[in-house]
Amino acid sequence: MELTISRAEILAILPAGILFITGLVQLFADLGRSAENKRSEKTHLAMIGVTGFLLAFAALFVQGTGASTGPLYAGAMTDDLFGRMGAGVVIMTGLFSTLMSGSYLASRGSNSAEFTALISFGAGAMALLCQATNLVSIFIAIETLSLAVYVMAGYFQNQRSASEGAFKYFVLGAFSSGFLLLGMAFIYGATGGSLSLADIAASDGQQDSLFSVGTLLVLIGFAFKVGAVPFHTWVPDVYQGAPTVAVGWMAVAVKASSLFCLCRFLLFTGGSHHLAQLLAAISVVTMLLGNLAALNQQSLKRMMAYSGIAHTGYLLIPLVIALSGEGASAGASIPFYMFAYAATTLAAFGVLAAISVGSDRDQIHDLDGLSRSRPLLALGFSVALISLAGIPLTAGFIGKLLILSNAVQHGYLLLALVGIIASLISVYFYLRPVVSMWFREPKSSFELVPASWGITFTVAVCGIATIALGLFPGWLIDLSKRSVEAILG
Amino acid sequence: MIPVLDSFNLPILTLVTLTPAIGALLLSLVDRNNKALFRQGSLMISFLTLLFSLLMVGNFDNSVGTMQLEESHSWIESLGINYHLGVDGISILLVLLTCFTMPFVFMSSWKAIDDRVKEFHIALLLLQTGMVGAFVSLDLILFYLFYEAMLIPMYLIIGIWGGRERVYAALKFFIYTMVGSLMMFLAILYLHQHAGTFDLPLLLERLRTTHLLDTDQQFWLFSAFTLSFAIKVPLFPFHTWLPDAHVEAPTAGSVVLAGVLLKMGTYGLLRFSIPLFHDAAFNLQPVMCWLAVIGIIFGACMALVQNDIKKLIAYSSVSHLGFVVLACFVPNVETITGAILQMVNHGLSTGMLFLMIGIIYERRHTRELADYGGLAKVIPLYTIFFMIAVLSSIGLPGLNGFIGEFLILYGVFKVFPLWGVLASTGVVLGALYMLNMVKKFLFGPLVHDENRNVADLSPREILYLLPFVIMMIWIGLYPAPFINMVKPTLSLYVEMLKS
Repeated sequence: MELTISRAEILAILPAGILFITGLVQLFADLGRSAENKRSEKTHLAMIGVTGFLLAFAALFVQGTGASTGPLYAGAMTDDLFGRMGAGVVIMTGLFSTLMSGSYLASRGSNSAEFTALISFGAGAMALLCQATNLVSIFIAIETLSLAVYVMAGYFQNQRSASEGAFKYFVLGAFSSGFLLLGMAFIYGATGGSLSLADIAASDGQQDSLFSVGTLLVLIGFAFKVGAVPFHTWVPDVYQGAPTVAVGWMAVAVKASSLFCLCRFLLFTGGSHHLAQLLAAISVVTMLLGNLAALNQQSLKRMMAYSGIAHTGYLLIPLVIALSGEGASAGASIPFYMFAYAATTLAAFGVLAAISVGSDRDQIHDLDGLSRSRPLLALGFSVALISLAGIPLTAGFIGKLLILSNAVQHGYLLLALVGIIASLISVYFYLRPVVSMWFREPKSSFELVPASWGITFTVAVCGIATIALGLFPGWLIDLSKRSVEAILG
Repeated sequence: MIPVLDSFNLPILTLVTLTPAIGALLLSLVDRNNKALFRQGSLMISFLTLLFSLLMVGNFDNSVGTMQLEESHSWIESLGINYHLGVDGISILLVLLTCFTMPFVFMSSWKAIDDRVKEFHIALLLLQTGMVGAFVSLDLILFYLFYEAMLIPMYLIIGIWGGRERVYAALKFFIYTMVGSLMMFLAILYLHQHAGTFDLPLLLERLRTTHLLDTDQQFWLFSAFTLSFAIKVPLFPFHTWLPDAHVEAPTAGSVVLAGVLLKMGTYGLLRFSIPLFHDAAFNLQPVMCWLAVIGIIFGACMALVQNDIKKLIAYSSVSHLGFVVLACFVPNVETITGAILQMVNHGLSTGMLFLMIGIIYERRHTRELADYGGLAKVIPLYTIFFMIAVLSSIGLPGLNGFIGEFLILYGVFKVFPLWGVLASTGVVLGALYMLNMVKKFLFGPLVHDENRNVADLSPREILYLLPFVIMMIWIGLYPAPFINMVKPTLSLYVEMLKS
């Protein structure tokens, strides 16, 4: 067989390719110097990373916005608007995480090129995951990105909590990969040897009970990656032990790419009524448990971990609707929500990174009086928290509006009601840091290292983006809608 | 009226709504140490807004009962959300009240607020945009946005500049309001799914011509909307957040809360709950009216036994706004006219009372009635102003409070004598607790030596209290211009509810 690669195929892997190369360049640029100067900020690494991410972002637009190229690489992947939006979220997140990482890691005395390179490698794998349309390519992309994230979770080798979190993550992650692979094997068997999603959708093996079991197992694998209850137990521990910057990166990018992939997978394979009900149950439990468990956390990172779990719950609602075949358009809320969540979460973790520079501050009362010492950081964090709580004039509100109105529209009133109740619960704990920052006076012992320009820039841009998306969300909603329509051709 | 600047085709409502927010944005660029600039700047911005609101009145046609000065632009097209503004007789006086109150709130805070001046003024300006925006929005989602947007500045005002228990009070205020508004949010989405639009006039039209909702659906939607507004009013038994919020809030916060924010609840009942789901409103009329009557009497009785002046006024609000709720659910031209006037009057009299309590608090740092007494001789000017506000609140003929309560009681009595009689006891009790408070506060023997040297009103204070007095006397003696503004709308409104 003659191997030919078309122009479209090269363009399709261009963003991911640029990111992989960026990672390599970062590693080489720091070669031999890594050991001595772990306390320097290493701006050159950040610059290489920023250049790479910007180039990758530009590469997303080479194809234009709208066309779907159809199957590429013999059905292993595609290049459509949906995939590009997913890659867009990942690349933006990677860009800001790279910007923030230098000063944060230098202050901990462990700044080495591996960290930024891991972000770049992970981002490349995630971009591929968003475009993958074949069971094998999905699995390879997931494993690649997981490897990068496992290492980042345990980046502070000398910290007990970091090792514990990373170990837990790795063991459970490997286990869930097993589920994923087994499920894929079942699907492969049930559909008479189809690997690509299009073939699976076309085959008549979907009535087979083996197929249902397979889909269920795949779902479990993904539920682990996105941290849905009852596969969420690793989330708080990993968040607490990992470097704050890495947590922001994981919280957004891993969740985004996995959800984009899961959404594509479910839209193709469809599913039974039972599966939809099961997913609805997971969504309900995830929303409620995430928000309830966050209520009395003292650690900001753990609070954000449970908040992240709760947001996964909201994000499963459109998948439930899509699964029951009542409207692929329901999936359209996912790309928008992910962009909103990315902006919001990055702003929040930027502030968390800023206050923990040079120390291990991570308690809610560490924020006391922040509005006096660092008014802009306090403002940025407040905006982020308000957006996470889904209060109007922020991106988070529009995201919830999209999801809940879809749920109501398709008759899932109960899901919408639980979503509302869950957001109500969440208001309480999202306000706790606000109380600390604005209503309390700073402690005398509290000295804050000035935030680096990378962190300040991230908080400013993401905070403004959160408000801007809340005021003018129209264009992004339209883009999201078109992208989901593009999946199904 | 005067066709001022009509030919310019200015988007007047947008100007009234967004001027404070734009001002806040500009002020946010100013250095925080420049305190005088924040005080003068926000005062100018609020006067500019007042000017725009007068322009709005100038262009408002008193002979028309439908929406006027409408502005409609597509905002989020894919979700069918429009930027749709408009005023009619129900909202125009409330917009005016808001824009009238704000400059004096700023003036009252010149001395009282010296900490975080920047944040304070920005929060108040954003709050004003939220309040005006909620009154003029004709799109349900837009309304919801403004309605919620008021929450955060108010939360910060109570929480940052409030009293000792401010964190608790602020949180209670926030959570209570959120419970109601999230239920309303779900109801808005449900309504949209059945009626296909967020646009209020269009919704009313569709709900009237076709029976889109059955009795059960109406019941639930009405309950969700009404819960949100009942908490805001606050209607008994959802009132428990109010005394805390009032006592802990700084003067400016109390004035805005009592003067304008509470009216958001009664306005919401009039604008949304009742016309949208009037079958359900009719079915639940007994429940709502009993709650209102209980609120009137309960609020008055609670006010009777308070020792904290602010708490006393807070409970008097529960009582006074009970009249408005009662009027909303016994709709005829008299009651609704009375309800709107009562909202404005309560805003003026309670707003002024809170301003004046703020003044005395600045001097003596206590709100306990037992710490005062005999002040009338020390501060005669203060006493005169205070008495005017009290008498207006009691509803003395010749001052503004009378006309609203009278119309409501008259209108209710015509239809349901029992509720009318029960509600009128609220007026009697009102006189009792207010005069009792004045007796302990200003008259009687001067027992505390600290009170001998209390300074009387300063020119600045007179300057911001005088407009309230003028408005009280104006509405009391010659309410016709105000009634004329609301009349055509209300005849249409009552007509619509009957059909």
